[in-house]
Amino acid sequence: MRKMLLAALSRVLQGPAAAGRTASRVMVASRNYGDFASEASFEIKKCDLHRLEEGPSTTAVMTREEGLHYYKTMQTIRRMELKSDQLYKQKIIRGFCHLYDGQEACCVGIEAAIKPTDHVITAYRAHGFTFTRGVPVREILAELTGRKGGCAKGKGGSMHMYTKNFYGGNGIVGAQVPLGAGIALACKYFGKNEVCLALYGDGAANQGQIFETYNMAALWKLPCIFICENNRYGMGTSVERAAASTDYYKRGYFIPGLRVDGMDVLCVREAVKFAADYCRAGKGPLVMELQTYRYHGHSMSDPGISYRTREEIQEVRSKSDPITLLKDRMVNNNLASVEELKEIDVAVRKEIEEAAQFATTDPEPPLEELGHHIYFNEPPFEVRGPNQWIKYKSVS
Amino acid sequence: MNLFQSITSALDNALAKDPTAVVFGEDVAFGGVFRCTVGLRDKYGKDRVFNTPLCEQGIVGFGIGIAVAGATAIAEIQFADYIFPAFDQIVNEAAKYRYRSGDLFNCGNLTIRAPWGCVGHGALYHSQSPEAFFAHCPGIKVVIPRSPLQAKGLLLSCIEDKNPCIFFEPKILYRAAVEQVPVEPYNIPLSQAEVLQTGSDVTMVAWGTQVHVIKEVAAMAQEKLGVSCEVIDLRTILPWDTETICKEECFLNLEAPISRVCGYDTPFPHIFEPFYIPDKWKCYDALQKMINY
Repeated sequence: MRKMLLAALSRVLQGPAAAGRTASRVMVASRNYGDFASEASFEIKKCDLHRLEEGPSTTAVMTREEGLHYYKTMQTIRRMELKSDQLYKQKIIRGFCHLYDGQEACCVGIEAAIKPTDHVITAYRAHGFTFTRGVPVREILAELTGRKGGCAKGKGGSMHMYTKNFYGGNGIVGAQVPLGAGIALACKYFGKNEVCLALYGDGAANQGQIFETYNMAALWKLPCIFICENNRYGMGTSVERAAASTDYYKRGYFIPGLRVDGMDVLCVREAVKFAADYCRAGKGPLVMELQTYRYHGHSMSDPGISYRTREEIQEVRSKSDPITLLKDRMVNNNLASVEELKEIDVAVRKEIEEAAQFATTDPEPPLEELGHHIYFNEPPFEVRGPNQWIKYKSVS
Repeated sequence: MNLFQSITSALDNALAKDPTAVVFGEDVAFGGVFRCTVGLRDKYGKDRVFNTPLCEQGIVGFGIGIAVAGATAIAEIQFADYIFPAFDQIVNEAAKYRYRSGDLFNCGNLTIRAPWGCVGHGALYHSQSPEAFFAHCPGIKVVIPRSPLQAKGLLLSCIEDKNPCIFFEPKILYRAAVEQVPVEPYNIPLSQAEVLQTGSDVTMVAWGTQVHVIKEVAAMAQEKLGVSCEVIDLRTILPWDTETICKEECFLNLEAPISRVCGYDTPFPHIFEPFYIPDKWKCYDALQKMINY
């Protein structure tokens, strides 16, 4: 009702040229937060359950603040990944780069459901999580370009980004999952009511060490949530060609599981909240499958269209894009206006540009650091090198 | 042919000659991430050239099983850096099979191939040269070629050899190295080093990509220092050709200590790679210091 009134008013005021336009602009800008609903309730998809009597709630309540926060975070990740794509093609980023665009709802939904004191570990498609766990965009981009302002001092690169309670960023497929169980054991041992989320992909789900970890976690009732981000392709191999069973949420067999729509941030949030509560109650581990999609190929050297069609990618983009889904929900339920979200887009773009500037101009780590941080707390020793006359000092 | 084409040719010959031969690994069906297996599935069928899921330990264990049962198994590990989940299978199962069964069983029909070595942008997990880990494991053979012509002959020898072999392929040479390579099968003997250039003052031994680096260093030394260098390609790391190497350098006759030129004792860095690798300047420097010892 108010929307129509304001629209009518601004049309009326558009009469006298410049003055009118200023006046109408002022009219729109004076629209205050009282015009929006403070929260709305949404029906979300029911999760498939394995060995569970009940699942997460099928209604989610989202406040305006939450919605704006999720929107801004997802948009930041999206633009950051696209910027990384650009920088990679300009050869400013080299090495490996595995982009997360399309899967933003997963990391944002997860972060929304857990506390900063909970722990997360994932594989190499980690930029999104690095951001949601608290690393500023400029440090992520600087790490990608290998500069000393990067979160791992420029020594890790795309696959090795870390921060407090975020254990990376791991290159070897599947190797991070037993680590996650170990972290969960420490959580249980220290008794601080924390949980650990160990993420892996549909390709990694076939690694032996994952099953070893399932056994340990179930045996010792570790507060570990195993999350399989199923984006349908393990590098270039579709899930049907790699797995005897594509029901990844059932692969834990004796561990209860959930299959979740990973393109809906609210669905992910509710599921992870449910899982975190389950683990904190001491009931043991859970397996979760997030059904999601990546728009880019596996890495920057993969165009991403030799094993799937452009039509498929387009279809997901138009029907299930996580950012569009959230935007439509917010606008249709009067939680935000299109203009407000556009302003957020503009602010995000600016932030990414500045971060990219920093990442391109920051100096590289000094050569002396080549030998640093191999061991801990030894008196500085000299690292053996190509011959006995060239050495680097190792400091920790 | 370039290096990856010479590998394809060798595999083609092996699959044609030996009806029990099978090629498997991650993504080999469409041709492989380095195109080493292009065309093989179409030619020999999907029961002989097939993909495995993402499980290195499983791939090698499975390969050992095929080999023990009597078929020729040619397994591919996608990058040498990923060979470690399979380390137990290689060292504890494959290497010791013949010995522990008193020669009743063996997995000599197994050959494991893996792309190896630095490539300029590989960083920690796409650049490693893990031959040293396997070099002390009796029971297996470790082979590293320096060129397409060498690669085909050595790979065919590995496949036909009655011992489990690991064949590391320098990935930086896949496209960069091109040579005239015969289409028919031929063998190059294992455990024989090759003297590429004879010399009287300094002996340099290398394998894989590094052979080309020291050839350059030898030329530089001749030109700038008037030093005559001997260049040897070790080819087989285990069991290595002690005769050729020791013929050239007998301990008591050495005039300077033996020098090793290699990477630093750090994980393979991403941003520091140009400083990490033992390029020709470092080798030349070492040579100079040795001459002046």
